[in-house]
Amino acid sequence: MDTFGLKVIASDRVFYEGRCRKLIIPAPDGQKGILPNHENMVIAIAVGIARMELTEGEWTEVAVGTGFAEIVNNRVTLLVDTAERPEEIDIRRAREQRERAEEQMRQKQSIQEYYHTQASLARAMNRLKLARDKRWDFK
Amino acid sequence: MANIREIQSRINSVKDTMKITNAMYMISSSKMTHARKKLADTEPYFYALQGEISRILRHMPELRHRYFSKRENVPADERKIGSIVITADKGLAGAYNHNIVKLEEEILAKPGIHKLFIVGELGRHYFAKHGVEIDMNFQYTVQKPTMHRARDISSVLIDQFLNRELDEVYVVYTRMENSVQAEAEVLKLLPLERASFNEMIMPLNMYREEIDLYPSAEIVMESIAPNYITGMIYGTLVEAYASEHNARMMAMKSATDSAESLIRELSIVYNRARQAAITQEITEVCSGARAQQNK
Repeated sequence: MDTFGLKVIASDRVFYEGRCRKLIIPAPDGQKGILPNHENMVIAIAVGIARMELTEGEWTEVAVGTGFAEIVNNRVTLLVDTAERPEEIDIRRAREQRERAEEQMRQKQSIQEYYHTQASLARAMNRLKLARDKRWDFK
Repeated sequence: MANIREIQSRINSVKDTMKITNAMYMISSSKMTHARKKLADTEPYFYALQGEISRILRHMPELRHRYFSKRENVPADERKIGSIVITADKGLAGAYNHNIVKLEEEILAKPGIHKLFIVGELGRHYFAKHGVEIDMNFQYTVQKPTMHRARDISSVLIDQFLNRELDEVYVVYTRMENSVQAEAEVLKLLPLERASFNEMIMPLNMYREEIDLYPSAEIVMESIAPNYITGMIYGTLVEAYASEHNARMMAMKSATDSAESLIRELSIVYNRARQAAITQEITEVCSGARAQQNK
């Protein structure tokens, strides 16, 4: 099967660089799949979980923040503000982050602060979701 | 000739100061290495963002977007100009803070309604004392810049920019040319300038790829531009942090050096004084003995 070049760049590091067979990304209006030789495109990415099939039948899941994916000449660049593997996620920290955000949402806030905590809550929930799927010992 | 004990205590006090400057030198040098590594880690993301904006602009020259709006209808003396000023939390860094303050004062001299967002304790004190309008809710430290802090800062500024509370936003920071040279610099943050995404000049007969923007060019730009601004702020914070520690390192190095040369000079004076005292004592003893003999 064909492959395409994939580069995942997070704001603090280059997360992945290499070949990929299939890629599923969270777009603002649902998930989008990318196969080799895709049309040139730029797609906005929402907070969510991206999946990449690097070798046959083996899917890697990544919790991503907002950003975009760019597909040019069978090369995909995923530019996101955060990218984390399930095993990198600290459940306790994510849970604390969620609680903090929820607490702040309940208090009176300016619109700007509201969006801010909303985004932070979305990131926390996303981390927890990915971590929960992976760890059976999580209660 | 100075008193021996005086010189001795002077040497000791210089030695104590030298211990402090030497420790600060080492702390700054380790902090600077950290900062440089951070900067190197974030560079690929930042350049890719910049490249992408320039690509979108190249494909959609007609794209009008709120981050690019120049607001030319606002006259020069009514423009609300915001500046993020990045200084250190303390002095002892040579001319580092002074250069930033001087540059900011040049901006303040220009027409317009100015508002300052200050990062760093020293700058906050300075401008508060000089009666310039400072956003007091804007309390961020320069120590250990993080992406999170950059996101906070950029959300404040983007919000004010979009609500027309600000028409232009600048960052005044220090950029590191190389490990010896650092220069205070003004960077225009908002509105984004088309010119700064230097468009590639391509030969006309070259095939240009067609790019589909999903869901639309506006939405893609909407998700890139704030990240780009955050990235710029993060970059300037890290750059300023690295330059601050570089400046402090150099200041402390020269302080340590001059302490060393001072100690060398003082110990020569001390030895001379000691010699003189010994010689004097010998002379006294000898002349006393001779006086006894002559009796």
